[in-house]
Amino acid sequence: MNIVILHYTLMAIASLLSVVSVYLAIIERDLVKAVVYSALQSTFYALLFYLIMAPDIFLTYVPVSVGLYTALILVLIKKTERFEGEEK
Amino acid sequence: MKRYIHVVVIVTLIMLTIVLSAAFALGGIALYLPPRNVRSLAEIFLKTTFNPEYRISPMSPEAVTAIVWDYRGLDTLFETSVMFLAIVGALTLFRGLSEKLSQEEIEYRGGLSVIVKTVTRIAIVMIIAVGASLALHGHLTPGGGFQGGATIAVAPMLIIITFSTYYMSRSISVKKAVLLRSIGLSVIALTTFLVLIIALTQNSTAYIFQNQPKVYADYGIPSYLGNTIVLGGTLLLFNAAETFAVAFGFIALLILITIPEDYAKTIVLEGEE
Amino acid sequence: MEAVQFLFNIVVVSMIMNIAVSLYGVFARPSLIKKIIALTIFSDTVNLMVILIGFRYVEPNPLPPILTTIPPTSTDISTFVQKAIDPLPQALVLTAIVIGLAVTLFLIFLTIQTYRIYRTTDVKKIAKLRG
Repeated sequence: MNIVILHYTLMAIASLLSVVSVYLAIIERDLVKAVVYSALQSTFYALLFYLIMAPDIFLTYVPVSVGLYTALILVLIKKTERFEGEEK
Repeated sequence: MKRYIHVVVIVTLIMLTIVLSAAFALGGIALYLPPRNVRSLAEIFLKTTFNPEYRISPMSPEAVTAIVWDYRGLDTLFETSVMFLAIVGALTLFRGLSEKLSQEEIEYRGGLSVIVKTVTRIAIVMIIAVGASLALHGHLTPGGGFQGGATIAVAPMLIIITFSTYYMSRSISVKKAVLLRSIGLSVIALTTFLVLIIALTQNSTAYIFQNQPKVYADYGIPSYLGNTIVLGGTLLLFNAAETFAVAFGFIALLILITIPEDYAKTIVLEGEE
Repeated sequence: MEAVQFLFNIVVVSMIMNIAVSLYGVFARPSLIKKIIALTIFSDTVNLMVILIGFRYVEPNPLPPILTTIPPTSTDISTFVQKAIDPLPQALVLTAIVIGLAVTLFLIFLTIQTYRIYRTTDVKKIAKLRG
């Protein structure tokens, strides 16, 4: 296959999968699962940053978004409430 | 029933994206196509980033680090001060907690099992080595100050999870971490004025954030060591000091946020009432 | 050429979808923690769209803005200028990621303090308290 089309196809697949992850993260009512879907979305964004030829941004984004945000929000959930809205 | 609604909505979202982009591509109103030439400002940045013929060149083969610390150094100065203000605000909200933590002797022998502790000890050494390598090579390969600092900040998080918060705060307390962060920030401030101080003692002038000799200011930090090693002037000092400052700032915040809730609530709410 | 246009438009339209879904998450979900998660997704998507502005179309693949031969000859530099992408949006996005991180850290600390005082993180219940 032509290498230009392969490059752009990988970018399109990564962005479509990130749309699925963002929808699942917003619609979920259990907050621990929402944080895991948000980390999945950050992984697809990191792949997209690599394919756009931006290595400095990629090295900043991976430890900040997959490492620090996920751990801090999990500590926050432990100290406050786990389910949003009212329990049915 | 609820799961089928979610599956239908996801499939609809994907089909909508594909159909919209096909309509834009085939209908002649291309939403965006990447251009073949880059803007003329970017051509100036790319042409003069490692070119001894131009006097404005910062002599580092990495264009992004040169823009962050040399061409647009004042933006980075204000970004570092915004981060500092956020840390000061977070420390103010939890005031009174760090002094009580260092006064009492809290004996806690716990944590996860022996296997996890041994693997964590090996992993922490590797994480700190990778972070230091990213910081010191920032002017030659992708890397730099903030990248190395954020990578090193993952290591104390692992220590807090597998050992305990009290183990971490016995070796580096909150006050010591804030002090070390301030030392790192003052090294950044000193490097900003370094060429100015050198030039003033020789009865001449220079700019602040100056890296290489410019047209009317003939002083600078050397950019080559010998004939083959590229030093990068002030970029190396900036990257190392920024890594130090960012890592210790995160250590201070992580210790404060992982103190158990029943112990912290009494100390923090006493002052409110 | 048509295929490349179609595939690149998929990326841009899916970023617009992400902005729409995360903005709905900030406005319509009543929990403070969900609002923080949606806000981080929103700022990441906007940073990605800024970097997409600096991309360019070169026949095998474009180069990242880093010189690979030291010291470079003048033909090296002219090839580099014709094939490398724009480095200025990447430097601005680096600053934006750090500022977003600082604001989110402060929001997390504020949420913990709000829970300690009001014993709830539901925005509708806090609005009814009037105190």
